[in-house]
Amino acid sequence: MSKKASNKGRPSAPWSKKEAEKRAAERPESVAPVPDAREAEVAPAPQTREAVLEEVHALEAELEVLGAKIHAEHEARLRSAPPPPPLAAAPAPIPAPLPSMYDASKEVLSTNHFTRTWSRDALRSKVEDVDDMGFDRPFADRIAPTLDFLHDRWFRVESHGSESIPANGPCIFVANHSGTLPVDGLMLRVVLEKLSTRETPDFRWLAEDDVFHFPFVGSTLTRLGAVRACQENAERLLARGLRVGVFPEGLKGIGKLFRDRYQLQRFGRGGFVKLALRTGTPIVPVSILGGEETQPMLARLTFFAKLFDVPYVPVTPTFPLLGPAGLVPAPTKWKIFFGEPIDLSAHGAEAATDDLLVSQLSERVRSEIQGTLDRAVGERKSVFFG
Amino acid sequence: MTPLPSSQPSGRPPPRVIAVVGATTFFGEHLLGVLEEDPRVDRIVAVGEKTSPGAGAKTRSYELDVTQPGSEARLAEIFATEAIEAVVHVGFLQVPATAAAWAHEYESVGTMRVVVAARKASVGKFVGVSNTWLYGALPSNPNFLDEKRDLRASRSEPFFADKIEAEAKMRELAEKSPETSVTILRFSPIVGSTIDNLHTRWLSRSFVPTLLGHDPLFQFLHEIDAIAALKHALFRDVPGVYNIVGEGVVPLSLAIRLAGRTAIPLPRTLLRPLVSALWLAELAEGSEAFLPYLRYLCVADGSKAALAGFKRAYTSREALLDFGSTQRLRDARQLQEPRR
Repeated sequence: MSKKASNKGRPSAPWSKKEAEKRAAERPESVAPVPDAREAEVAPAPQTREAVLEEVHALEAELEVLGAKIHAEHEARLRSAPPPPPLAAAPAPIPAPLPSMYDASKEVLSTNHFTRTWSRDALRSKVEDVDDMGFDRPFADRIAPTLDFLHDRWFRVESHGSESIPANGPCIFVANHSGTLPVDGLMLRVVLEKLSTRETPDFRWLAEDDVFHFPFVGSTLTRLGAVRACQENAERLLARGLRVGVFPEGLKGIGKLFRDRYQLQRFGRGGFVKLALRTGTPIVPVSILGGEETQPMLARLTFFAKLFDVPYVPVTPTFPLLGPAGLVPAPTKWKIFFGEPIDLSAHGAEAATDDLLVSQLSERVRSEIQGTLDRAVGERKSVFFG
Repeated sequence: MTPLPSSQPSGRPPPRVIAVVGATTFFGEHLLGVLEEDPRVDRIVAVGEKTSPGAGAKTRSYELDVTQPGSEARLAEIFATEAIEAVVHVGFLQVPATAAAWAHEYESVGTMRVVVAARKASVGKFVGVSNTWLYGALPSNPNFLDEKRDLRASRSEPFFADKIEAEAKMRELAEKSPETSVTILRFSPIVGSTIDNLHTRWLSRSFVPTLLGHDPLFQFLHEIDAIAALKHALFRDVPGVYNIVGEGVVPLSLAIRLAGRTAIPLPRTLLRPLVSALWLAELAEGSEAFLPYLRYLCVADGSKAALAGFKRAYTSREALLDFGSTQRLRDARQLQEPRR
């Protein structure tokens, strides 16, 4: 560094102090001299130091003036002369033949044309490869930015107690279910994906039949990692070392009216406890706060439902009123609380047939989630800001 | 096809005299060809409505129609005089027939007659074919159906009802005559370059109708793997019911694209009457009873077969790609249509 600086300083030696003063005088007032500390410090002798400083200032000033002049000239040119037509210089393009009526009609009437166009469109949304359960990694990756937006910006999901999640091996996440369109499974997936250190997504959740078999919803959820809720599927997932999310409230959880929010419904028939007992997998209770207010359901209509193959038609402040746009969830503040894992392996696999024990354990998990939710609802100051 | 090891896991020696019932079907014809080449087989008896094109030097053909009353006695006589050691029953329809009464005679009653004859002649081994679609596409199905599940396909559709009855007859044989080793192979939908069945016909349409908003997972078995499974069941002692499926699953939308076709998704309210009308006009491959398969999962678990040593050369995806490439040749009229 110092060598470079001294080299810079050396050619300035022949400059006389007089000349430097003259140049300094020519310099316009507007340009404030900026002393370069580094240059000054390294200068070898006090008599040349002044000269060097002066020289640097002078050069700077010159540059400034020159730059301003060029800029002004350019501005003036732009303002005075209209820009030349850009195509004038370019070689004249070969005029494209006008499509005749015959060509156009041939294009339109050719079924081959439509087949090609449609198959191209279909290929655009192509499925790359799915695993045995229908999870489509490329599709999930394509959707990931949308889900991240929902997680980071829309719901601003905060997760608590994630350090208690078992780091290795499968586990069963048991959560409360909410929202007319259940996005809680998706959000839980995003949260766990963000916490996971594994290369491949290893969280799948079980979706109830009515959601799963609904047109478009089911096929999309399958590709994102949802699986129809049944014992066989859950066991298969756990046997593969995957982590499984369960919403034991099922349809009753989604279909809660707004006045019943955060009141957990019956936890099915304790299927998740049987699953945990049979496979010796720990249960992690998960309480999701904020989901209930995304689409506050005011009423359930059943008389149209048969027509659309749904169990009921939800009525929210926005839904039938604004059409499909009314299904956009409200941007509530979400908090996800992970409880301490519950290890049931001490009971043994044969305990799964003990119905009393199963219902007791199921109730224990339910009351734990209910307690966490009650506490969280009490501490919450605002639905939208947490 | 990989050569099978000559060692036999259990005490039963491999059969040397084999009867193929339904020799004119796709399976019958190709099994005859494969057995002709196998040095372990001394003699083959082909039973069919007419002489099978697969019959060779080792084969003796019998023209016998199992829909005719009294054919069981004739069949038992053939089995006894030829000293048959194993019976392969492949006389099933691959495409739903509009002649439902005849189809019932051929599949359900025909199988009963074959089973009766096999019992009468106390044949040591019986191999029959079935179909994984007999499990039925139901909303309550898990992703993978194992062999213990009931066959719950719609009984109102003769294509399923007859096959379910036929399979019940074959399982009855296993219960009633313990000296017979009965193997039933439930094949998943088969595709390939030469087979003609419901699935290949459906995927040969230039526009394949599907249900809007539904994209169930499908599995496909290659025709070669199906023949190989039949041969494996003949030469290894593997009694029981096995799902013979291609490895991996393919979403329906991808299956149609791999076959080089364009899917036409239609809402269910529209597709149902359309398919019924086309079926009545004999323009559709199947009736509306097949629509649930476009909506719900009907995928079988092949792990039991894998443990029993059944091997497959093609995955579901590869089987479809093979079908698709031959289909492309047919589209360009460079390959003749499969024999019907």
